[in-house]
Amino acid sequence: MLRFDHVTRTYGNRVAVDALNLSLQRGELFALLGHNGAGKTTTIKMLVGLLKPTSGAIYVGPYNVVENPREVSRLIGYVPDLPFLYEKLSGREFLRFVADMYGMPDASARAAIEREAERFQLVEFIDQLTESYSHGMRQRTVFAAAMIHQPEILVVDEPMVGLDPHSIRLVKDLLKAYAVSGKIVLMSTHTLNIAEEISDRVGVMKSGKIVFEGKLEELRHALPSGGSTLESLYLALMEN
Amino acid sequence: MRFLQSASLPDRLSLEPSAQDSHGLGGVAVDAELAALCSALPSHERESQIFWRLRLAVLRAHLRHVLAYARLRTSLVVGLSLFFWFGLFMLFYKGFDFVIRYVESPGSRYHSDTMLFVFPLFFLSLQVMLIFSSGIILYSGLYPSREMAFLMTLPVRDERLVYYRFQEALFFSSWGFFLLASPMLLAYGLVAHAPWYYFAYLLPLMAAFAYIPCSLGAICCLVLIYRLPALRRIIVGAVAIVIIVLAYKSIWTTLDFSQNELLGNSWFKDTLKRFRFTRGEWLPSTWLSNALIEAVRRAHNNPRDLPWFEAGKYFVVLVSNALALHLCVIWLGKHLFRSSYWELQARRAKKPKLTLAWVDRLADRLLFMFPRQTKLLIMKDLRLFRRDPVQWSQFLIFFGLLLLYFANVDRFRDHKSDINVLTWVNIVSFLNLAVVGLILSTFTTRFIYPLISLEGRRFWILSLLPVDRDTILWGKFLFAACGSWLPCAALVGISDVMLDVSPMVVAVHQLICLLLCVGLAGMAVGFGAMMPNFREQSPSKIAAGFGGTLNLVLSALYIMAVVLLTALPCHFFLLAGKTDLPPRLLQPSYLRLWLLLGILSSVVLAAVVTILPLRGGLRSFRRLEV
Repeated sequence: MLRFDHVTRTYGNRVAVDALNLSLQRGELFALLGHNGAGKTTTIKMLVGLLKPTSGAIYVGPYNVVENPREVSRLIGYVPDLPFLYEKLSGREFLRFVADMYGMPDASARAAIEREAERFQLVEFIDQLTESYSHGMRQRTVFAAAMIHQPEILVVDEPMVGLDPHSIRLVKDLLKAYAVSGKIVLMSTHTLNIAEEISDRVGVMKSGKIVFEGKLEELRHALPSGGSTLESLYLALMEN
Repeated sequence: MRFLQSASLPDRLSLEPSAQDSHGLGGVAVDAELAALCSALPSHERESQIFWRLRLAVLRAHLRHVLAYARLRTSLVVGLSLFFWFGLFMLFYKGFDFVIRYVESPGSRYHSDTMLFVFPLFFLSLQVMLIFSSGIILYSGLYPSREMAFLMTLPVRDERLVYYRFQEALFFSSWGFFLLASPMLLAYGLVAHAPWYYFAYLLPLMAAFAYIPCSLGAICCLVLIYRLPALRRIIVGAVAIVIIVLAYKSIWTTLDFSQNELLGNSWFKDTLKRFRFTRGEWLPSTWLSNALIEAVRRAHNNPRDLPWFEAGKYFVVLVSNALALHLCVIWLGKHLFRSSYWELQARRAKKPKLTLAWVDRLADRLLFMFPRQTKLLIMKDLRLFRRDPVQWSQFLIFFGLLLLYFANVDRFRDHKSDINVLTWVNIVSFLNLAVVGLILSTFTTRFIYPLISLEGRRFWILSLLPVDRDTILWGKFLFAACGSWLPCAALVGISDVMLDVSPMVVAVHQLICLLLCVGLAGMAVGFGAMMPNFREQSPSKIAAGFGGTLNLVLSALYIMAVVLLTALPCHFFLLAGKTDLPPRLLQPSYLRLWLLLGILSSVVLAAVVTILPLRGGLRSFRRLEV
């Protein structure tokens, strides 16, 4: 369903992502881990159409990300690390704009806005201008926008930053449930305990390369002296 | 599981078979399902509707906000724009009245020749400005914009994104054109008693004309950014320098007149010849000028002479070119935008090594008399200011233009014995001082006023340090006052030297310049501390709020008061003995007293506008809880 084929991205002489091969299937929650500058955000930006691979190709189903950006965007929902909202729109107007852009008919769009507002607990403030929202409210609104069209792939960059414990619980449950419903969730995060708790597979990036890709059990098996938690295993892996 | 490691881990500890290829039997069904989802994306027309709806919703919210929270600023902007519009209208009305009265009426040869000098020159200048401004606005809307990064993750056509931004660039770059051209063309029509179709043509003609240079600017922007990553920086720099040198040389050649010929008969003929290039047949500004000159005249008993039709032909030329260029913008948007965006995003950001620059070392020495903490705070603000080119580049341009003007304002020097010239020299020198003050007031409002608000988010750094809060505010005041005084004093000094004014006027100017710098800095820092806005991170938005607008208005009033208080006594003092001054109180014996009183009043006023806001600011800042 989602395939990175030998994808490389360079910035001048610096290789940000180096010959990345990765494949995700429906029903999978994949956590991308790595230090700052490891290449996680570059990988995600290439997937959502904000960067072009220097070489290699990314496929979403039959669509090449570079050749069919519009179709790929329809199949993806993206929550960036720094959420963007139109300050002079209300949450409802913003969600309506996004729903319209995905080509949702009027009735479906209204129903989807109600559904997401309920799910992300936006009802209280959905008709206020987003300029008055706190960081958590903004993040939840962006989540609602990314999920309004029920994307086949949900791409989330640092989903828990700035969220209160209640919202973190909400987002964790949601991501897990979304993957269980047969969609793909690709999450980049530094929060290792959350990745450990909800992901089906993890990918660890270091200097642009995937140094491990698989289930947590497999990582424990491969690094028997690395401890049992993802945190200790991750640190052991990075020290190697 | 896959394990890939370059260092101590083996290349691949184990490898599961790669995930199921979606192009199997099940894959075909999945692909069909995905294709069905993608088939429901909006059509071109629907996309256009959605963006218009977005724009209208944002506009409505802006208007509501403006009416609720920014009435002072809005009424000020509207009032000043109307004042400016009517001022221009009157100016053009008188000018065209002179032309028609002393040259000839519309339809005659000399009238056409005169107007074919005025209109093409005016419209060609605006045409060049429209090309640059629309290109720059489009660039900032398309490439370094967070909104665009968001929109690019939605299933929107690339050409729609470019067109959406182009509409904004068109509006923001051409409103100035409409503000300047509408009073001129309306005044021309009224003075020339133009037929109804002249007024009917005005708006469509202006709109069709404005569309052409704006589209050209957009095309240049898209093509340039598309090719830019492939070009070497040295080539770009060399081409830019060649263009600047050629432009400067051609402007210099065009405007190079000797003093003796100025405004003489041969001067006029020579001028018409020199500006012949503005009347090129292929220029949109010429098409517009021809259309206006045709539309303004009336047909004289000749059934075949149809001015409205002749004007219409030029209108059609303008519209067809505008439409063709519109198609070019859309086509380039579709084919170049995303590639150019990708290329620009993939460029490696420069990470300069930040060392102690000579500016810091110099400032460190110059600030030797201040306490160490104050000096460190000033140095910190100086570094933040220096390392943000957005902060100083606009003012570098403003001050650069002023410098260019002051350096060329020596036309009066040869005629100093003439009392009229002497009067003008004095007026111009004080006007120059006022202009420097007004630019300084926009600087203090835009950059100094938001300083305290911007400290809000990083206030914990300062509040944890063993620094008195008063020291922080004094640091900002001294940074603003000292930082602005040096360039302003230099500019005013250059103006005085070029105008060859008397040493007494130079001394008065330098004193007033100092008073302006201190007063404007006091107001900006004081009001900024009294009315901080910690929610906003953008300095321009902080400055555009109520406090910033109030600061700008009071600063302008202060400048006018201080300059008038000294300019008038100085003016009469210089004229004393050279002309008859009838009232008893304007006799030379009293004028020294008036001048002294004017200077003293200015000093008192400067003390008031510095101390009162600063005291209020200090009081608020001490009580501040962030």
